[in-house]
Amino acid sequence: MKRLLVVAALGVAAWFLPYGLDSYAIHVVNVILIFAILAIGLGLVMGIAGQVNLSQVAFFGVGAYATAILTTHSGMGFWVAGVLAILATVLMGLVIGTPALRVQSHYLGIVTLGLALAFTNWVTNASLSGGAEGISGITAPTLPGVDLSSEYIYYYLELIVFAVVLGFGLFVVRTALGRRMRAMRDDALAAGALGAEVPMLRMTAFMLASVYGGVAGVLYAGLIRYVAPESFNIANMFLLLAMVIIGGRQSLIGCVVGAVSLALVRELLVDHPTIAQLAYGSVVVLVVVFAPTGLAGLPRRFRAYLDHRRGTRGTAAQLRPFQPYEPEAVSRSTQDQLLRVEGVTKQFRGLKALDDVSLTVSTGEIRGIVGPNGSGKTTLFNVISGLYKPTSGRVIFRGADMTGRAPYRLARAGMARTFQNLRLFGDLTVEENLLVALDRWSTLSAWRYALRPLSVLRRDRALRRSAAEVLERYGLTEFASLAPKSLPYGIQRRVEIARAVAADPALLLLDEPAAGLNGEEVRQLAEIVRSIRDSGRTVIIIEHNMGLVMSLCEQITVLAGGRVIASGTPAEVAVEPAVIEAYLGDSMNTDDLPVPSAGEATR
Amino acid sequence: MRPTLAVLAVVLAVAAGCSAPGSGKEESGNDSGPIKIAVVDAQSGQLSSLGAWELKGARLAVDEWNAAGGVNGRQIQLDVFDDQGDPTIGTNLARKIDSEGYIAMIGTAESAVTIAMSPLLKQAEIPNITSGQSPGLVATKSDFLFLNGPTSTTYDETLAKHIVDQQGIKSIAMITNNGGYGKGEHDAFLKALTSRNVTPVADQVVTADQKDFSAVLTSIRQKNPKVIFLGAEEVESGLIVKQARDLGITSAFAGAAPQGTPVFLDTAGAKNAEGTIVSSPYLSNDIDEASKKFAAAYKAKFNEEAELHGAKAYDGTQILLTALKTSNVATGKPLADAIRATKHDGLLGDFAFDETGVGIFSTSIGIIKGGKLVAAES
Repeated sequence: MKRLLVVAALGVAAWFLPYGLDSYAIHVVNVILIFAILAIGLGLVMGIAGQVNLSQVAFFGVGAYATAILTTHSGMGFWVAGVLAILATVLMGLVIGTPALRVQSHYLGIVTLGLALAFTNWVTNASLSGGAEGISGITAPTLPGVDLSSEYIYYYLELIVFAVVLGFGLFVVRTALGRRMRAMRDDALAAGALGAEVPMLRMTAFMLASVYGGVAGVLYAGLIRYVAPESFNIANMFLLLAMVIIGGRQSLIGCVVGAVSLALVRELLVDHPTIAQLAYGSVVVLVVVFAPTGLAGLPRRFRAYLDHRRGTRGTAAQLRPFQPYEPEAVSRSTQDQLLRVEGVTKQFRGLKALDDVSLTVSTGEIRGIVGPNGSGKTTLFNVISGLYKPTSGRVIFRGADMTGRAPYRLARAGMARTFQNLRLFGDLTVEENLLVALDRWSTLSAWRYALRPLSVLRRDRALRRSAAEVLERYGLTEFASLAPKSLPYGIQRRVEIARAVAADPALLLLDEPAAGLNGEEVRQLAEIVRSIRDSGRTVIIIEHNMGLVMSLCEQITVLAGGRVIASGTPAEVAVEPAVIEAYLGDSMNTDDLPVPSAGEATR
Repeated sequence: MRPTLAVLAVVLAVAAGCSAPGSGKEESGNDSGPIKIAVVDAQSGQLSSLGAWELKGARLAVDEWNAAGGVNGRQIQLDVFDDQGDPTIGTNLARKIDSEGYIAMIGTAESAVTIAMSPLLKQAEIPNITSGQSPGLVATKSDFLFLNGPTSTTYDETLAKHIVDQQGIKSIAMITNNGGYGKGEHDAFLKALTSRNVTPVADQVVTADQKDFSAVLTSIRQKNPKVIFLGAEEVESGLIVKQARDLGITSAFAGAAPQGTPVFLDTAGAKNAEGTIVSSPYLSNDIDEASKKFAAAYKAKFNEEAELHGAKAYDGTQILLTALKTSNVATGKPLADAIRATKHDGLLGDFAFDETGVGIFSTSIGIIKGGKLVAAES
């Protein structure tokens, strides 16, 4: 309710703003709104999706130029031209986004910067775009009964568009698509392993940014009614970048605040050209040094500081006990082969990490994979889950050949995994980590955002209910809104397992789940893994904790030097001479190993 | 919440029913106090050197008038605004100088910025004397826009006339860059050649920040042209000339204003630049008495050598101040009419504005001899 009141107050203030402004100020405000829309687009692609995009200004330019060309050369009306211009920008967005499929971070920055330079170069030299003189005399937008040539009235057009695109941006960020993008930003590998189609998501991010660029470009053409290459130069790109960084790139509101404040600073300094550059640079440096999370991050930092001063501490969240799954009624007598690895070899240059490894895992089994450090266990996991393509051999999952498929395809086919060194999405809450996994929709269906936003909201509500159930089951409810980084290690481990199971896999791969856990936590882990298996899932577990492996697993495969040296029940494997020599070492006495009870072994 | 929403709805409805905002606009421009003139130019960014030169030229003219008692006893107040070479900021500034009561504007040096500002200045009835020289300025068809020099087509037309018509040279190669200036030069000079039925033997385009031109120059060397036309800024042109001489190219070079500047001469080396044909309305500081006087005053005030852009702004400001005097400090349309009617014997030649706002229709041809630009005898 409080938030609603703030929004309403801001809306009223914005509505009456023009009454207090002269013609100069309203023009400045109009320009600022356009830059704010651009900044939101850049915030979406860079802050939310983590794709370095230095061609936002080219999107802006394509939108403005397309409007200019279509109205002046083809004699179209402003609105028709505007719609076509946005479509043209989206095409451009898909072209510029393509390199993101291959390169990331600063490499992507260089590629997109190059494309932005190519754009200004092209418009300077092409006769269609009027060369360095640009295109003047762009047809003014018209609406029946409204005089849009008045900048005061144009302000309302911009205000409405701005409110719509900001609302849409926030809607995206706070629902499934934005969550998936943020997950990809934090850890593309883990997001892929949970079924997020990383290539498709990256293209979607660029497409979103291009829509915002196109909308801003069309509004610019309608406002200034003149386009020239200088309006879309690299200096403006860096201005936009500074707006997003100053505002706080992970918050769209922050991007808007950054755009407004930087534009105002620039406007204030216009009378003082001698100190303008210096002052402007100082503002950017000060913000980057003293407020790395941007202006948007300041309130939180301030609150944290106050809490620290007062010494107040919230009541510590408690980890609740795990509530076991209902065992699946159907007996798992079937000897279906869920996973078959056939003669897999993985070569890294001179190193043979896996050498002709074969193994078969049946439905409902808990399989342990053990071996000394460097024996190829994690490499085998990476081959099975699609992170590595094997040099030779095949991986057959649920009867289909899945060798070398992208991780997200395997995830969608029913495989989920955890990682040896935790890979939780650091800037998402625990609940959101689970939501990303629960979310099984295809990124292709993102069209719903434009056409059926209510169905998106309904799905999101349903997802949150499922997330609450998972949190409850794993005893994590009290941590729901916390950042994973702030949690103790053992709890992070549990969150990662909960996240993998939330993806509803048929096969769960656990890579050293007991590493760093204390005795009680290991006991709880064994209970959780057994319950997961009882709910009808198959589990493969890499583990060094021999006590856990021996008590938990029905079948154990032992790797050494990239080869399978033994497999069988724990009792069989434990007495195998090759295992004792290779893995346990000569000094190890087999009597130390706990021999599993008969009941355990036959399950 | 419900009453709040209802109140909100009513308030919005009332607001919508009221007059649109911004309808009550007070007319600025009072009859006492200083006369406010704005200089809008890039004071930062890539084009800031142009902006700095232009500001100095305008400042010099205004200071001379103020020292002599101003216009009708009123002092002239010259304020500078930084457009950063960006058309969007230019439009902001057009609104700003309007709302702050400036009656005329000097600048900008960047055609695109001026074109963007032109409709707003026309609407606000603020006369504007620009240093831009793009034909696009004329195409805006604003009664309030004046050029303080010839358009770029004049430079190249005069140059082509000298080379082709008078010297009878038809073997011409072109090197231009793909930046805004180079592209304009390329099109204008090619048009001037085509109208004389001359096809250049080579038409090479380089990028605006290129440093090595050996590939381009080698291919031109095979064509062995008599004259090589340069459409690039000072430093790049100088580099091209230097590298051409290193490759053994002996052809003469030709170009517009940048090729007559000391920067070009220094970069190329005086010996290499010997014989370069330059088309410029302001060849050098010691071409006649007026330019010597201007250059001396400029040197005394700013402690640096005067050059073309300062001279253009100086002429433009002189014309504006003269018009203010003859019109008895008029504003708006009468001031624009007064500027159009002003005949001025300036540094660039005799100004006589036509209805398009252009006042100078020819340039002079100079030739670099012994490291100095001298007028060509035709």
